[in-house]
Amino acid sequence: MSASFAASVVGVGICAPGMIDWVVARDVLCGRCEWRPDPLPKLDVPLLPSTERRRVNPAARLAIAAAAQAVAPWPVDRRASIASVFASGNGDGDVLAGTLQTLVDDATAMSPTLFHNSVFNAPAGYWTIANRSRARSTTVSAGAGSFAAGVLEATVEVAMTREPVLMVAADMPFPASLAAFDVTGAAFAAALLLSPPDDSTASSFGRLEIAVHEGSPGSTGDDVDPAVATAFRRNPAARALPLLAAIARGVPSRMDLPYVDGCYLGMTFTP
Amino acid sequence: MNVPIAAWTLLAACGSGSRDVRDALRTGRSGLRPNDFEPAPGLSTYLGRVEGVEDFVVPSSLSHFDCRNNRLAMMGLALDGFEACVARAVRRHGAHRVGVFVGTSTSGILATELALCAAPSRNGDVPLSPDFYRYRHSMHSVTELVRGVLGLRGPAMTVSTACSSSAKVFAVAARAISAGVCDAAVVGGADSVAMSTLHGFNALSLLSRAPCRPFDADRDGISIGEAAAFALLDPSADSDVALEGCGESSDGYHMSTPDPEGAGAAAAMREALASAHLCADEIGYVNLHGTASRANDAAEDLAVQAVLGDRVPAGSTKGFTGHALGAAGIVEAAICLIALTDGFLPGTLNCRTVDAQIRSRILLDPVAATPAHVMTNSFGFGGSNCTLVLGRRT
Repeated sequence: MSASFAASVVGVGICAPGMIDWVVARDVLCGRCEWRPDPLPKLDVPLLPSTERRRVNPAARLAIAAAAQAVAPWPVDRRASIASVFASGNGDGDVLAGTLQTLVDDATAMSPTLFHNSVFNAPAGYWTIANRSRARSTTVSAGAGSFAAGVLEATVEVAMTREPVLMVAADMPFPASLAAFDVTGAAFAAALLLSPPDDSTASSFGRLEIAVHEGSPGSTGDDVDPAVATAFRRNPAARALPLLAAIARGVPSRMDLPYVDGCYLGMTFTP
Repeated sequence: MNVPIAAWTLLAACGSGSRDVRDALRTGRSGLRPNDFEPAPGLSTYLGRVEGVEDFVVPSSLSHFDCRNNRLAMMGLALDGFEACVARAVRRHGAHRVGVFVGTSTSGILATELALCAAPSRNGDVPLSPDFYRYRHSMHSVTELVRGVLGLRGPAMTVSTACSSSAKVFAVAARAISAGVCDAAVVGGADSVAMSTLHGFNALSLLSRAPCRPFDADRDGISIGEAAAFALLDPSADSDVALEGCGESSDGYHMSTPDPEGAGAAAAMREALASAHLCADEIGYVNLHGTASRANDAAEDLAVQAVLGDRVPAGSTKGFTGHALGAAGIVEAAICLIALTDGFLPGTLNCRTVDAQIRSRILLDPVAATPAHVMTNSFGFGGSNCTLVLGRRT
């Protein structure tokens, strides 16, 4: 086992079909109301300048919808200073499909906007533009273990810098033209604002402790409503669901998260 | 911060292995040539394409990983005695205690581009599948490949922040080691040429028709390259060189244009100096991002002025390698390690007349020098900035 790290969860955000925000998701994850697979509306990023607001790509809209909720309790002037970690297994399928279609049809007709939106860190780019932030931002991926990778990097950053770090995991469906890849399924984004565990300046949902372990994961944690678990089964970002359920219920929970071959991430949540 | 660098390997257009790249840097041998990349004909530009990728034979046990990007990574890992050094680290620490952090901007996207463009009208016949995606295309495929080749079982992740990706892996790995997540780490970068990046930079009018000329008065754009490079960070190693500092920042300005004031870049440079516990005049050389785009070089010059002034020898090596995008950070870190250990500072190939607006001390030709500490800048789309400080251990 690696050294273990703790952080305080001081902000939470979510965006997924039937769970448009944390207020709705909390009721679903507590079992207070039934999950309905309502499709997501077109998500807006009102903080962006008008040109960027028009151009921002779907994966960034999804990630930023969750991120904005997690930092909402913080004063606007403090948000610019928050470092961020974005995690995604598969990035933006719409932008990828559009890029590939352009190459098939007429490569010389490539759109400059489509191209700059194709970078894997586009959500981080738009997030920092929206918040006029010069803070450190890292975008990571580890396939199906991308949520674990994001939590690991963000928690290590909190431990090393003693500063808050925003972790955002987002994955969206791939369009029909890329159905053969069979990735992601329904859209899902989760955001956690993590602070040093002794930070008393922010009210906390609880304490998160993590460690990397050798071997294969055992317990996947608190039961998530089977309909929800099934709908988001293939979405790497939705590996956040057991943790979000524990936070929603305010109950202690121990979870093993799939990470990369040979190791998994052990997580303990204490309200 | 002081993390010994036990070994490194470097494959770029101008050379295969650190010695070959060193000779290229010393003799002014460029890896750029007129575009001869078969999948993107008709683009009038120069490319830093690595020789021999097409003919590389992928071991059958790794054939599911076969794509141009992963071939570059395999070719890079096999150079400079790197795999043997990693094997020693595994014996010392255990395979579960060695992390892997690889930077790439597009990973294996070219595999899918070729699959679709080779048979655009026969969608049903295109061999795309979940395994094709995972092993040949996805962001994480290159990191999985590196773990597989080196037999590593520790924490791993891909960092993809466009052209700062493989500089940021040094910062991520240094944090992981310092925090005790792993005892040592392989950091790396691999990015192959791809149809989408070539046509994308062309759409942004950022491709030069000539070999790129960083900081030249007449510079008119970038030359795209491809590369793979790796380094082994191992605090227990007895090595001559070390990672001394990292700085990471965002521009928060624009997706594809740098902040013209260079404020985000300057913030990364200042943080790197601070984490190395050095002041500006202790830096003996800066390997600049220096893409040769009008905007990058002007903004980066302002950042250098703000943080280091105009006395530190500086240069861009993109005229040798081309811009290797997600691999650029570690390629230039490796070039800095060559400079530290070989006693010379590379020149800025293809720059003949330094732009009068540029006030940094741009080295046109290589010079003999034995700096103790050097710096390298990497900046990417989305306003992602990363600066590293590397030094000789005394």
